[in-house]
Amino acid sequence: MSPIRVLVGVLGMDQHELGAVGIARMLRDQGMEVIYTGCFNTPETIVQAAMQEDADVIGISSHSWEYLYYTPELLELLKQNDLDVPVVLGGSVITEEDAGKMLDKGVAAVFGSGSAMTDMIDTVRNLAAGAATS
Amino acid sequence: MKENATRSGINLSPVYGPSDGNGDYSRRFGNPGEYPFTRGTRAYSGRGWIQRELSGEGDPKRSNEQFKYLMTLGQTGLDVIGDSPTMSLMDPDHPLARYTVGTQGVSLCRHDDYRQLLDGIPLDQMSISSSGPSMFTVASLYLLAKERGVSPGVLRGSVIEWPFYSEHCSYAYKMPFDLHLRMSCDVIEFCSKEMPRFHGFLEDTYFFSEAGLNAVEEAALGFVEIRHIVRALLARGLDIDSFAPRIAILTNCSMDFYEEIAKIRAMRRIFARMMKEEFGAKDPRSQAVNIAVHTSGLSLTTEQPANNIVRGAVQTVALGLAGVTALEISTFDEGYRTPSKEAHLVGLRTQQVIDLETNINSVQDPFGGSWFMESLTDEVEARILDMVNEIESLGDPAELVSSGYFKQFFHGTMGRYHRQVHDGEVLKVGMNVHQMPAEQDTLLRDISEEKIEPLFDRVEEISAYRDKRDQRPLLDSLQRLHDVVQTDENMLEAVLECTLAGATMGEIAGILRQAWGTPYDPYGFLESPIGSTQ
Repeated sequence: MSPIRVLVGVLGMDQHELGAVGIARMLRDQGMEVIYTGCFNTPETIVQAAMQEDADVIGISSHSWEYLYYTPELLELLKQNDLDVPVVLGGSVITEEDAGKMLDKGVAAVFGSGSAMTDMIDTVRNLAAGAATS
Repeated sequence: MKENATRSGINLSPVYGPSDGNGDYSRRFGNPGEYPFTRGTRAYSGRGWIQRELSGEGDPKRSNEQFKYLMTLGQTGLDVIGDSPTMSLMDPDHPLARYTVGTQGVSLCRHDDYRQLLDGIPLDQMSISSSGPSMFTVASLYLLAKERGVSPGVLRGSVIEWPFYSEHCSYAYKMPFDLHLRMSCDVIEFCSKEMPRFHGFLEDTYFFSEAGLNAVEEAALGFVEIRHIVRALLARGLDIDSFAPRIAILTNCSMDFYEEIAKIRAMRRIFARMMKEEFGAKDPRSQAVNIAVHTSGLSLTTEQPANNIVRGAVQTVALGLAGVTALEISTFDEGYRTPSKEAHLVGLRTQQVIDLETNINSVQDPFGGSWFMESLTDEVEARILDMVNEIESLGDPAELVSSGYFKQFFHGTMGRYHRQVHDGEVLKVGMNVHQMPAEQDTLLRDISEEKIEPLFDRVEEISAYRDKRDQRPLLDSLQRLHDVVQTDENMLEAVLECTLAGATMGEIAGILRQAWGTPYDPYGFLESPIGSTQ
């Protein structure tokens, strides 16, 4: 079985990279292939990279409220491109209320501050397995 | 953290005694106000530190109201931060800026913004410390002082120079290193001539140390940058004593209480010796470095935000004992946002309680002569110097920036910190120890989670502003700046001219990039107002 491919990136002008780098390392340690796209992404660049890299899961890390606007745009763009790749959001700035809103819009999972590492890893694994069978 | 070791990994004995931290008093310590300034840059004043809180949100007018509110609370200096686009030399109507205009700092891009920002603020009395891009902040402060009949020579405050690390931590200029360094040197040279009381060169180790660095790494990288900029200024033929008194440092303060105090004492000593012995500074003011501090945002948690008040207070006590010049507390809502009105009040009151009620300022350097503190200061100093030597031995530090050495380094420290917190090696009460269920974790949560909406109106306003300007003088000034960049002339005069002609910060930064042979807009959305010049 080929390893799970996860795209990890930060959107807009958010330049707090610590969470994204930490998660990328953690997933790599689990044997996953991480395509790290760094900062200054737009929904367009994320979708393009996800297509080119054949990503199983897209992970967006946030330390700015920009994600509230970009995430729905990203989901819409994925749909327009017939790309069935689950989107996972992470970041301590995401409140419980906003997490609920994002899940309603179609985000597959949200992880706030203090989330257990094992939960995050299991979720990515399950989502990747789901995406592969769908 | 290892058991009984500092965050940088220095092993601690349970008890210290007369055999620790011994040494020649005048060589290693000196009295406060005397070389090598380990014990403080000034003789006892009893005055304490400049008290301020990070401010700036929304448009310039709203930020001005915020400043005035803080001044009514007794704030004694201003500390201004721009929103992400402003900090990254980007105008609010840039397509990438849209959703973050005014949300994590104030949106500033033209001279008129600074007029509104500092309306009614006494420029000759208030120290203004700005985290915004230095060249543009200095240009507008200088012009504003002249407009108000205040001599730029009396302006106090600081701007940050960060050519080494800004691309990799927090705020990228998307400029070649050499251009960024040139901007920094031009600003420092301009300030040392025209604004002699202003710190045109604040070495900010805070922002990059938030990438998970420990105290030794933070100070070492700071000194690598200081040393490189000093050498670049000396290479211009400047006298060390003409600019060194205007160098200041802004550091972080983690929760490792003793080590942070030792770090500040060690940094003062390293700076003094470096300036005197290596760079030949004769003026004592060139050897005595003012250190201001921003308490650690990274040490704070979004869980149980009230705990952050305690963290800020403990760090403030450490800094009071270390004898810093100025400080601002990262407030309880830091995990979510720039400070709310309530958080400003708590942050400032924390500083005031410690300053006024505890007698903390009654003695200078109270840890001086402590077997433990002197021994720790020595060890921290030795490790900082080792790391500086190690980095410089790898080659020209400027080459290390371009080759991605520091980027790699920061990715390593970010990953390390992330793991340390997840593994519980760094303990954070409320986050990885003594957690509580979300439904119980309500204290101060409503305030912390309150959002600042992006200013879509300001995007429209700036977009419309562009066509309203008198185009001929504007384009002439931008063209002249383009030409000046290709000479050795200091760029500030040309930047002042552009600023007065109504140019925006994004335009000026774009012209600098273009003149350097790189794209006007690094993100590929905008075209240069003066057209292609290749």
